[in-house]
Amino acid sequence: MSQHRPPNIGGGKISRRDFLKLLAAAGTVMTFTPFVDWGKFLPNPQEAAGQRAKVELPDGSQANVKTFKVNHAEAVIYPKSNDQVLNAESFRTWQFIRLPAELGGDKSDASAFRMYSMVCLHLWCLWKYWPEDGRKRGECPCHGSMYDPMTGMAFAGPASLQAPPSNVLPRLDLEIDDKGDIWIKPPNWSPSANGVVGYGRYLT
Amino acid sequence: MGATLHNRDNSLVRLFKWIYAGLDRTIFMGLKFTFPSKFVSPLGFLGMLTFVVFIILGITGALLMLWYEPILTRAWDSVHKINDTIPYGFHIRNIHYHASNAMVMLAILHMYYQFFSGRYKIRNEILWVSGIIIGVLTILEAFTGYDIIFSERAELAISIAASLTNSIPIVGPDMMHAFFGNGFHDFVLRFYAFHVFLLPIALLGLMVIHFPRFLVFDVPMVMAVTGAIMLTGGVFPIDMGLKFDPNVPPGITVPEWYLTGLYSFLRSGYDKFTTGVAWPGLFILTLLIMPFIDRYKKFSWKDRPIIAALGITSIAQIMVTTYWGFYIDPDRTKSLLERLVIDPIFLYTVMALLVPLSFGFTYLMIKLAKNAEERSKTQKKPAEKSPIQLPEKWLLIIFVCLIGFQVYLNIATYYALLSGMKNFSLFLVGIIMLVFAGMFHLYRQGKSLPKSNVEVVSSKRPSYGLSSFGNKMLGKDTSKKPLPVGASTGTTSTVSSLPGGDLDEKTQEEKPVAAESPEIKTPSKSSTSTTSSTPSKSSTSTTSSTS
Repeated sequence: MSQHRPPNIGGGKISRRDFLKLLAAAGTVMTFTPFVDWGKFLPNPQEAAGQRAKVELPDGSQANVKTFKVNHAEAVIYPKSNDQVLNAESFRTWQFIRLPAELGGDKSDASAFRMYSMVCLHLWCLWKYWPEDGRKRGECPCHGSMYDPMTGMAFAGPASLQAPPSNVLPRLDLEIDDKGDIWIKPPNWSPSANGVVGYGRYLT
Repeated sequence: MGATLHNRDNSLVRLFKWIYAGLDRTIFMGLKFTFPSKFVSPLGFLGMLTFVVFIILGITGALLMLWYEPILTRAWDSVHKINDTIPYGFHIRNIHYHASNAMVMLAILHMYYQFFSGRYKIRNEILWVSGIIIGVLTILEAFTGYDIIFSERAELAISIAASLTNSIPIVGPDMMHAFFGNGFHDFVLRFYAFHVFLLPIALLGLMVIHFPRFLVFDVPMVMAVTGAIMLTGGVFPIDMGLKFDPNVPPGITVPEWYLTGLYSFLRSGYDKFTTGVAWPGLFILTLLIMPFIDRYKKFSWKDRPIIAALGITSIAQIMVTTYWGFYIDPDRTKSLLERLVIDPIFLYTVMALLVPLSFGFTYLMIKLAKNAEERSKTQKKPAEKSPIQLPEKWLLIIFVCLIGFQVYLNIATYYALLSGMKNFSLFLVGIIMLVFAGMFHLYRQGKSLPKSNVEVVSSKRPSYGLSSFGNKMLGKDTSKKPLPVGASTGTTSTVSSLPGGDLDEKTQEEKPVAAESPEIKTPSKSSTSTTSSTPSKSSTSTTSSTS
């Protein structure tokens, strides 16, 4: 007959036995929580972590300091996969820039190169680098956001009005081996390190 | 069950009756389903209409799933294929699209009707709160739907949604990665999963909570809504939009009409989180707690001036911001940015000004309504049916408007002809359904003239002790053959197998106690009770002692 008892709505007391049951149940749950890898199922982990990757130009060759022209840019896919569809993804397209000479582009170390995500921080169109005299900057075709090739910071257009970190492009770190081939260092996808594609990076 | 199977019925009718009687064990019998036999205002059952549109969306959506491919490079092309080459794909896509708009529209109307009629408080709080959540999910459902086409507009919507999620402090970036994945490829696939499974299943689950026990299924109105959806699909067929290409500057696009209000805030260029997350969040939160701040004891909007004014304010602000979201400066010499950005000071001043204006308007309306009530009390009743009297000028204006609409329809038909008459067939089906609705209505109207207003269908089936079922048939046969109560407390099957016994049983079970008595009574007690009044008394005593 106990199930005919009306539910306890009036704010009455909980019996000691019920309280202990509750405590035991909560304790069991709490014991196992640290061992569950919470929420790791949902985010899609960026592959190609751990080791450096080639800067692979559209013609299939690896970018080299000796051959890559000053004040020039190419679109590079990173991380590159064997899947055509995934390689067509905007979020994997990066602009590989050799700076103009006045910004130190004629040096033959990694400081002459920059690699920024091509996804405009405003509404995710693909911007690109314009090497013409008087431009020498990244421009987005959609709403005219402009990016400084030195830092990747938006200095004009709607992207420049966004609060940090959404006004600085994500960037990949580069290194050069003895033969002059250029490699991408393993990134750390965090706003305070290499940045988050489509979101931005804190300028440090 | 035997009582319902009359020998006059043919075998098909008997099968249906048998199935209907078998439904007694299911959840449906807990609901009170009425098919009105006369015209009743559709405002009262807008929720049911929304649900019907939801079912239409489910069916057409399932058909679209057979052809749609949620892959970055193929999404748009597959929709294009559905639209242009697959037989009836155009029709199904148009019905799906316009039904989604109709569902959002009906849900909003439903909400405001419940709001102004004050039905959301006093034990209806759960219905209201679950309804608000369902409304938000409905908009999300519609939003994810037009995103997975992956046209230019869809890309704009996706990137705005993702950047808004991003802008939430602390948890934002993680939430974005969790819900949107990484990149466009994930977005399309995940939004597809949300659109076809996660959100609908959440909606269905919430609907179980949201369904009230009294439901009205008005066949002509359902037909009319369905017909209207098809008619709209015929007159305004939805276009494909342009395929998104990240290297091509997109044209100016605005989101769907239920999001342009939000879009106008975003276009003010103010902080993303405040305009895009906090304002709509505040709006939804206010709606959620509405039944708990509404302390008026009365229901009518006339007796709840502040709440009614709040409602009017929200409607005015929604209308203004929606229009503003659509408005784009037509001056093409200006830069795109200049045309898109809305001056925040201007926008917020207008929003603030709308508050005193709508409060004043509500005050005026209430004053007028009260005055009219007073006058109708003192002046006796005016003629019940006054013929519609319009001044000649207005008749002319209406006439001109109708002719203009006719011309427009002709032009639409001409374009339909050019595009292979696909939408014309949709238009025709819509017209046929509307005509059917009208015919049904007239037939019902004529048939029900001498009868009562609402016929409760469930009264026709035998009742098994549930006193909540129909009462319409009562009072007719009470004098016929009053059975002793001892019979009704026996097994129900023996009673209902008697001809006409179910009606007599109903009269006994008007008393709630008698309905419970078969379970509680012991055989020894029932054998001692001989008169009709004692067993119910004894059963009350047993219930009180056991509980």
